[in-house]
Amino acid sequence: MVEDLLVYLRLAAAAVRANARRPAFLAARTLASGSIAAVEVAGMVLLLDRFGTVGGWRAAEVVLLAGLAFASQGLALTLGTRLEADNLSLLVRKGTFDQVLTRPVSPLGWIVSSYVDTRYLGRLLAGVGAVVWAGARAGVEWTPGRVGLAALAVTSAAAIVFGVLLLSAAFTFVTVQGSEAGNVLVYGGAYLTSYPMQIYGSALRLLFVWVVPLGLAIYVPALGVLGRHGPPGLPASLAWLTAPAAAAFLAAGGLAWRGGVRHYVGAGS
Amino acid sequence: MRAYRAMLLAGFRRQATYRLAAVSGLATNAFFGVVRTAIFLALYRERAQVGGLDVRDALTYVWVLEALFGVIFVTWIWETAESVRSGDFVVELLRPGDPYLRLLVFDLGRTLNLLAVRAVPALLVAALLLPLRLPASAGGLALLAASGVLAALVGFQLRFLFSAAAFWTPDYRAVWMLALPLVWLASGFMIPVEYFPAPLRLLGEAGPLSALLVAPVRVATGRSAGAALLLQLAWVAVLWAIGRLVLTVASRRLVVHGG
Repeated sequence: MVEDLLVYLRLAAAAVRANARRPAFLAARTLASGSIAAVEVAGMVLLLDRFGTVGGWRAAEVVLLAGLAFASQGLALTLGTRLEADNLSLLVRKGTFDQVLTRPVSPLGWIVSSYVDTRYLGRLLAGVGAVVWAGARAGVEWTPGRVGLAALAVTSAAAIVFGVLLLSAAFTFVTVQGSEAGNVLVYGGAYLTSYPMQIYGSALRLLFVWVVPLGLAIYVPALGVLGRHGPPGLPASLAWLTAPAAAAFLAAGGLAWRGGVRHYVGAGS
Repeated sequence: MRAYRAMLLAGFRRQATYRLAAVSGLATNAFFGVVRTAIFLALYRERAQVGGLDVRDALTYVWVLEALFGVIFVTWIWETAESVRSGDFVVELLRPGDPYLRLLVFDLGRTLNLLAVRAVPALLVAALLLPLRLPASAGGLALLAASGVLAALVGFQLRFLFSAAAFWTPDYRAVWMLALPLVWLASGFMIPVEYFPAPLRLLGEAGPLSALLVAPVRVATGRSAGAALLLQLAWVAVLWAIGRLVLTVASRRLVVHGG
């Protein structure tokens, strides 16, 4: 078990070293990945500057949500970008996945560790920066409990995004060609959870709280951080459910991945 | 002329083969459109008009945006730059006729397919379900379609200019990735440029990026539609001149590896 872990850590270290071989390019890509999040936050501030509030929330409170969403997305993509449809499709079509299966490690562990992409740390950092900025603007007092809630939101949501990536990977094993379908949840989910859940209709709320629990993972802990109670049916006291829900979704993603691998047929290379 | 028409059709047919991509692209646009619609409905619950836009204008903006997103930020965004890097681009220069016009016509064929299978259905369904402000006459709809095509032409020419970075650096992706967030914000794909503070707003309303989304939205809602179309035409012409100049200069730099 520990030996396995060491193997994965070595693979990841090699991937990071390979990324760092062209430092200027890595810096530019990291900066770009962070600046997309930063520009999105800027757009959100401009928007709420004109309107004042959305669903009763002020700009700083909404930016806090967006920061949590971007940070979790950055964390999940650092580990799982290779599972995105376009990237995994390439592994399948080139026959590289045949070689992955012959290696004495788990295919998922190998793919995750040897394709760690540090540029998405730019998105993670931009998200954390947005949370800190928004906390200061919204007058959040960072007690250990609130820091813990924010960390819970980021890790749970990251686990859910990773679960989505696993589901989309399983789908790619079936379709072989890449499709944007997984991106709807990876990028659309972050966009949706950047705004308070009370503005959405019951169908979207049901989907993103109880099916793909990104709303549960980001919005509910954020209620606690901001000292808000939340709308009926979605109170701040539900925060305890965040981690188990995320774990359950991740497990479902894992099952789908296994089904996908079993479905995989070599390209004959 | 016949050769270019054949290229246009070839581009259209090439894109038509990606059916799964078309369906999932449409689903992505629909999802983002629904979320954006919810956000704007919530925003306008407390205000009647902001930056000269009312809720109907904002919803029209949302769905024109969703319709045109895939047409501007196309999935084959790296193709030209990649062929420059690998040296394959030399084939373009060897073929008879005008390389810039040929690339443009082929790209237009592909984006026309996207307009037909992604833009039209998205707008049509949204118009049936939501109080959008779309032209009611056939003439108005024709102008909207023309505006979409002009947006696609400007989109190709801007993409070509960014791709041309590949003639100078193999790290062309970094150039594009650094520029993309600003292009995205300044062209109004995040929020309507009408909400920008004054100097930025002027740039967003009249600059080259205005031809991508701002102008088609204006043609759709019918506010200063004529001026918006003329501005689009002007930017097509300006970018045409710049693009050809860049191609002429860049062709001399093209290095073909191997043999």
